[in-house]
Amino acid sequence: MVSEFIKSVKVKQNTDANCYVKFGLKPLEAPKTVRIRFSKTGSLQYISHLDLQRLWSRALVRAGIPLWYTQGFNPHAKMVFALPLPVGVESRCELLDVRIDREIPCEDIKELLNSELTDELCVLDVYYPQSKFADISSAEYNIELSSINASESLVEKINDFFASDEILMVKHTKSGEKEINIARLIHSFRAEYRQDGVIAMNTKLSAGTESLNPEFLINALRKYGVLAPASLTEESYSIVRTKVYNINGEEYF
Amino acid sequence: MNEKMSSIYRSVSKPGRYTGGEFGQIVKDKQGIKARWAFCFPDSYEIGLSNLGVQILYGVLNRESDVWCERAYTPWPDMQERMKEYNLPLCAHESGDPLNEFDIVGFTLQYEMCYTNVLNMLKLSGIPLRAEDRGEEDPIIIGGGPCAYNPEPVADFFDCFSIGEGEESLVAFTRLYIKMKDEGTYTRKAFLHEAAKLGQGIYVPSLYDVTYNENGTVKAYTRVYDDIPEKVTKCIIKDMNTAFYPENVVVPNIEAVQERIMLEVYRGCIRGCRFCQAGMIYRPVREKTADVLCKQAKCLYENTGFEEISLSSLSISDYSQLPELTEGLIDWSDKNMINLSLPSLRVDSFTKELMDKVKSVRSSSLTFAPEAGTQRLRDVINKNVSEEDLLRAVNVAFDAGKTMVKLYFMMGHPTETLEDLDGIAELAQKVLDTFYRNPNRNRAKAPQVTISVACFVPKPFTPFQWEAQDTIAMLEEKQSYLASKITNKKIKYNFHDANVSHIEAVLAKGDRRLSRALELAAEEGFMFDAWTEYFNYEKWVDVIKRAGLDPEFYANRKAGDDEIFPWDVIDCGVDKSFLARERNKAYNAETTKCCKEACSGCGANKLGGERTWCPNSSNQLK
Repeated sequence: MVSEFIKSVKVKQNTDANCYVKFGLKPLEAPKTVRIRFSKTGSLQYISHLDLQRLWSRALVRAGIPLWYTQGFNPHAKMVFALPLPVGVESRCELLDVRIDREIPCEDIKELLNSELTDELCVLDVYYPQSKFADISSAEYNIELSSINASESLVEKINDFFASDEILMVKHTKSGEKEINIARLIHSFRAEYRQDGVIAMNTKLSAGTESLNPEFLINALRKYGVLAPASLTEESYSIVRTKVYNINGEEYF
Repeated sequence: MNEKMSSIYRSVSKPGRYTGGEFGQIVKDKQGIKARWAFCFPDSYEIGLSNLGVQILYGVLNRESDVWCERAYTPWPDMQERMKEYNLPLCAHESGDPLNEFDIVGFTLQYEMCYTNVLNMLKLSGIPLRAEDRGEEDPIIIGGGPCAYNPEPVADFFDCFSIGEGEESLVAFTRLYIKMKDEGTYTRKAFLHEAAKLGQGIYVPSLYDVTYNENGTVKAYTRVYDDIPEKVTKCIIKDMNTAFYPENVVVPNIEAVQERIMLEVYRGCIRGCRFCQAGMIYRPVREKTADVLCKQAKCLYENTGFEEISLSSLSISDYSQLPELTEGLIDWSDKNMINLSLPSLRVDSFTKELMDKVKSVRSSSLTFAPEAGTQRLRDVINKNVSEEDLLRAVNVAFDAGKTMVKLYFMMGHPTETLEDLDGIAELAQKVLDTFYRNPNRNRAKAPQVTISVACFVPKPFTPFQWEAQDTIAMLEEKQSYLASKITNKKIKYNFHDANVSHIEAVLAKGDRRLSRALELAAEEGFMFDAWTEYFNYEKWVDVIKRAGLDPEFYANRKAGDDEIFPWDVIDCGVDKSFLARERNKAYNAETTKCCKEACSGCGANKLGGERTWCPNSSNQLK
C-alpha cells in the first residue's frame, strides 16, 4: 500500500553459491563474535523484534556468512541484539552480535550483507566488539511531532511537563498491569518549535536493564492533557533512535 | 500522505502487512510497461504471501520485460475501516498504485469461503462487481486456482477464468492483450472473445448462456459464438522439468504461515481417493527429475535464506525418485542446517529408513490421514490404507521416541453408518494400545492421539460429485455421537463447524444463480468467511434465501445420474464416465488400483505430459 518509502530490489542473478564460498573459508580455532551496527528505517519500523530476528537470520544465510551453530538437538545460530526496538520506532544505531566460525574480514561481511538487504535495513559497520551489551544504560531519540496545534506555547508546556519528578503511567507486562513513574527513566528532555509546524524533541531514555519505550512520552502527553487526543488527520509523529550510551554517558558501540 | 499513512499504520494491527518493501519483491519502472498485473490473494497477507501458485505466476509474469506484476491482499478489517474513513482505495504493494488503475487484476481462488473477500477487494478498489457493468477503462478481472474448476457461483463477477496451470497460459493471455492494444484492435469484448479462442484454457462466462430445467438443475450451457470451444479444456504444462519455476520469491518481513522453501516435486496424484478433488483436477501426474529439483532447491535457498524446505506434492512417497531426491538433498541440507520437511506422507510409506534419513521426519509431529474408521469405508473412498499399515507406521514413530500422533478423518462419506464412526474411536484407541505395547516407547512422556474430523464436502470432478452432503443436523448428531465414544483422556477430538462445511458445499456445487446471493453478501459487508470470528451462518442462509435459492438444493441433494452440472462446461481432463464408474465401485466398496500399478482409464492421458505414469506416454515412469 505504500509507495513513499524507499525500497530497492535485490534479485540475485547468478546461482553461484555464497554458501559454497563460506565452506571454503579458513575455519577459526574458536568461534568469534562480530558486532553489526545497522539502521532500521522506513517500512521496516513496523515489524516487531521477532520479525527482525527472522529477517536477520535469512539475510545472514543469503549472504553466506559462516555462522557458528550451537551443538545439541536443535542447532541454531547465535544472534544477540543489544536492545529491542519497539514497533513504530526507526533507528540508526542498532547493534547485533553474531558468532562466526570461519575467517572472514569485517569489510566483507558488511558488503555481503548489504547486497542482500533492502535500503531500509542497512549495515553501517561490522567490527569486533570491545564492550558488552550489559554496559548499555541509555538511548537517545529524536521525536518529531507535526500537529496543527504546534506552537511555541505548546512547546513550553511540553518542556514544563517533562521537567516534573513524577509522571505516572500504566505499563502492561506479562504478569499484568503495573504503574510506573516514567520521569525517573527520562535522563534528559528538550523540545523545540520548528517553523514548519513541527515540534522537535530530543530525549535520552533509560535503556538496557530497564528500557523506556519513547512512545510512552507521547502517550503521557495525551494522558495528562498536554496534547489533544490522537487524531489521524491533525497530527502525526515519527521517532528515531539515534545513539546508545553507556553508564558514563559515553556513546556506546 | 506520508504522515497520514504512518498515523494509520500506528493505529492498526500488524502494519507490516501493508507496507511492502520485502526482499525479493519486483519493482519495475513504469516506462516501457505495456501490461500491469495486480495479482490478488483474497485472504490476509500472512496466508497469501506463502501461496506457491502466486509465487510461480508472479515470477513468470515478471519475466516478461514489458509486463509488471504486483501483489495485493485483503486488508484486515481494522485497516478497512481506516480506508473507508479516509477514502483510501485498495492499492498494490510494490507501487502503491490503486488497483483500478491496473490493466489486469487476477484473483486466485483457493477456497470457496474466500469468494466474499474477492468481492470485498473489488469494492475496496472501486471496480464494479458485475462484469457486465465494467467499462473500457476498468481492468480485466480474471480468476484461477482450484475453485475455478467450478467458477459458476462467481462467474458473473469475472471477465474470464484461467482453467488449469497458468505458467504458459497467462503469459499467452497477456501477450494477446498487449498485441491487441498495440494494434489498436482492443476492446473488452473483442479481447475476451479472442482470449476464449486461444486454446489456453480461458473460460469467458459471458460467452456461455445457461438455461435451467423446471427442477432447477442445469439444462444446457450454450456458447454464444461458434469459434469458441463448447467446453473449456484445462491447460497443463507438459514438461515440468522445463517449466518456469521461480529462483526468487518474496521473503516476508512479518511472520507468514509458511516460511519455508516450497519445492514443487510433481503435479497430480496416482491414488484416486474418491473424495479428493485435487487428485482428479491435477491429473495426469507429471514429475520433475531429482537433479532439476536439487538445483531448484539450492537456488531458492541462496536467494531466500529460509532454513526449511518443504517437498511439496499431493503424496510425496509416490514420487518415483524419492530416494535419489533425498540422497541429493540430505548432505547439503545437513551441512547448511536446513530442515527437510516431507508433508503428505502416506501411512504405508512411513518407514524406519525414511525416519533415519530425514531428520525433520524424525523431529516433526506425525500426522496420518486414514480418513475413515473402518476398512469397508476406506475401500469405499478408495483410500487404500489398512489398519496394519497405520499401526506399523505409528510403531516406527514410537520406536523413535515420538509420543504424539495426529490422525485426520472425515465424517459424512457416502454409505457411512454409525459403525464407521465407532471405527474412528476404535482406531484411535488401537493407536494408543500400540504405544503401550511398544517396548521401545518413550516412558518419560504421556502419549497423545489427536483425531481431527472434518465434514465431507462433495466436490466437482470427483466420483462423489453426485453425492449429497449430510445435513447440518446429521453432521452435528454424528459429531456428538463420536464424542460420546471417546472416553480416554489421552485422545483429543477436534471437529469442524458443520455450518461452515454446509456453506462450503453450497458454493462448491453451486451454479450461476448464486451470484445474486454473493452480491447481497457483499452489500452486507461479508468478509473473511474462512475465519471463524467472521463467519456467520444465519447471515449466509439469509442472503441465499433472499436470492430466491435454497442452500439444501445445492448441498444436500443427490444428483440424478444424467444430471448436467454447472461445471460440465469445463473439462478437467478426467472423463465423467470414469467418475461415474468410480462412484459405482464405491457403492460396492470396490477399490481401484493406483496409476503406478494399473491404468484405470480416467482419460487424463489425452492431455499428454512428460514423465507420467500414463501408458504409452513419452518418458513414461516405471
